[in-house]
Amino acid sequence: MLFDNTDFTSLELPSHVVRLRREVRDFLEAERRQGSFQVHLGHGEFDAAFSRKVGARGWIGITWPRKYGGHEGSYLERFVVTEELLAAAAPVSAHWVADRQSGPSLLRWGTEAQRQKYLPAIAKGECYFAIGMSEPNSGSDLASVKTRAERVAGGWKLTGQKVWTSWAHKAHAMFVLCRTSPLGENRHEGLSQFIVDLPAPGITIRPIRFLNNEHHFNEVFFDEAFVPDEMVLGEIGQGWKQVTSELALERSGPERYMNTLPLLLAMIDRAGPTADRMARLTIGNLLARFAGIRTMSLAIATEFSKETTPNLATEAALVKDIGTHFEREVTEAAKMLFDATPATDTQDELERLLGEATIFAPISTIRGGTTQVLRGIVAKRLEASL
Amino acid sequence: MNDSALLQDAARRVFLDFYESDRLQSARQQGWSAELWSALEETGMSLISVPEAAGGSGGSVVEAAEVLRLAGKYCASVPLAETALLAGWALAGVGIDVPRGPLAFRIIESPDPLQLRRRDNAWRLSGTVENVPWARHASAVVLIASFGAESKVVCAPKSAYRVLPHANLAGEARDCVVFDEATIEDTQIAGATASITADKALQRGALARAVQMDGALERVLELTAAYAKQRVQFGRPIIKFQAVQQELARLAGEAAIAKASAMAAAAAVMSDDRSALAVAYAKVKVGEAAQSGAGIGHQLHGAIGVTDEYLLHHSTLRLWAWRSEYGSEAYWADRLGGHAMSRGGAAMWEEITGSAADAR
Repeated sequence: MLFDNTDFTSLELPSHVVRLRREVRDFLEAERRQGSFQVHLGHGEFDAAFSRKVGARGWIGITWPRKYGGHEGSYLERFVVTEELLAAAAPVSAHWVADRQSGPSLLRWGTEAQRQKYLPAIAKGECYFAIGMSEPNSGSDLASVKTRAERVAGGWKLTGQKVWTSWAHKAHAMFVLCRTSPLGENRHEGLSQFIVDLPAPGITIRPIRFLNNEHHFNEVFFDEAFVPDEMVLGEIGQGWKQVTSELALERSGPERYMNTLPLLLAMIDRAGPTADRMARLTIGNLLARFAGIRTMSLAIATEFSKETTPNLATEAALVKDIGTHFEREVTEAAKMLFDATPATDTQDELERLLGEATIFAPISTIRGGTTQVLRGIVAKRLEASL
Repeated sequence: MNDSALLQDAARRVFLDFYESDRLQSARQQGWSAELWSALEETGMSLISVPEAAGGSGGSVVEAAEVLRLAGKYCASVPLAETALLAGWALAGVGIDVPRGPLAFRIIESPDPLQLRRRDNAWRLSGTVENVPWARHASAVVLIASFGAESKVVCAPKSAYRVLPHANLAGEARDCVVFDEATIEDTQIAGATASITADKALQRGALARAVQMDGALERVLELTAAYAKQRVQFGRPIIKFQAVQQELARLAGEAAIAKASAMAAAAAVMSDDRSALAVAYAKVKVGEAAQSGAGIGHQLHGAIGVTDEYLLHHSTLRLWAWRSEYGSEAYWADRLGGHAMSRGGAAMWEEITGSAADAR
């Protein structure tokens, strides 16, 4: 019914991928020892210097063609690099969106000029993107976006508002999903994507503080902001297909279930060799869940390394649902096992990680498809497959 | 179709023949299905993964796992795991002839309930062993047991013991076997080896139950989705209700992660690479999935699911029974957690990702 043709028995990583993992791990270990970053959960800090180092190593745009600054590596290489960055809780926020979402979209739908303009800079870790999809009245129901683009001489004029736009205040460019024709019978028609460079006239970016009082979300206002024709992404009217096409890989990646792994590893160290039975059972249980989720995620990445678009979107939705809930189980277990106090202002590493995990917990089951939407996708697939 | 797909197709056809209410009820009363076992012997599937040189049918552990998951899916009450993956493997590995017919298998670790003595130039075996799967129907009981400091594989023929019948929750024979100064021929006993050990046997047993549970969960999902699509309440099929959809999706998630965990463990046992770890992950996660999956299956079926004439309970009773066999979740989680804590967080991450030099 799900994963019907997926092979879970041949997931051994090729030796060059194992070597790559070792290189990434050594690099991160050296960086941490030099104090170049501090471990923070939730994709870490926006750290352009760190992103440039990762880019210089060739670990951004791993699967992209060389002529766009990529490295023509496999999805398995990308998988292990992502795993190691997340296990180390490295500060990857600056390049994260461009590497995972904007870059692949540009490769698939962008013009030659757009690819040349952005991809090599993204791969170097120098160009960062924001994604303008959600609006005040459009969250899960993306087809209901109201930001509109009107045809004018030589381009389009954008008017409307985006919200919860991560790092728009630091990004060099942004994708904006707009309505280019009125909402009709087919809700998925009449949507289009545009690329805007930031900052730009007619575009206002205002901070929205996250519940830890930090600034990474924004609201972005478009007041007849002009976008030339050459900055249309893909085809006018094909926006829905374009934004949903990348979801399989995006929803099943390690970033959906590894955000609290550093906390779990810290829990293992805190419990130590003399751990009591409750700690052994709890941590054994969490490790078993983690391993199962990782096997599914790795199997999807392996299928992508064989062909570019295997039909695994439903399976990916399922991995995200289970993965994001697993992240929260780790947090809860830490509280129960160690009677630890979640805090952000503490010298105790475990309590600090617990504090960050607690604060970030609500987002993971919302962004990239809420639990409820994902489960609806899975159920519809089951209904259709009978 | 490739070989593996052909094998699965053949196995599915055999198991499906016996997947109907009357035959399942009768197997539950008998403690097994003799006719299904005969069908498996005819196709050679009863000795899958046992080397051909030892009289088996050949094939890999992964192929055996694929057949076993179908056996679990269609509630096959037969000693397939014990005969092929356990007894056949152990006997062939220590050089004892594999007897014909269905085989029972039991791992015995200390405290030792059995005594083995040398008397009148023969081995004599005494003691009582509980919870021996399929013993009353087996042509021999195969043991891997520690006698003092020594670990041995013993093949005890039917004449060497008597059986007190017991059953697990699903009615599968889990008997008590009594040895009373039973004579064991020299050819039927051999020392365990580096590769045939009680712990390897436990891993194989746990793998077998994990893939069987994975199959059973797949069946629970199929039955439940089909029922939700067909059952009309409040004027529409209940699958149209979001509350039902959400639960169905959770069930699908449990079935999917069970399959991933169980089959990954099969690969690890086949390649003998970090197999203890992979089996521990699988037995814990699949057991947990069995619990919540069976619960959701029953909930969405409403009262029809708990009735005798409907098929669902044959799957869920097995899920509940198999969770505890060859090491419960508590056993494997304890062992897994203890291992992790003895290694430390960083080393455990290396083991999870298969990059630890010493984990091979």
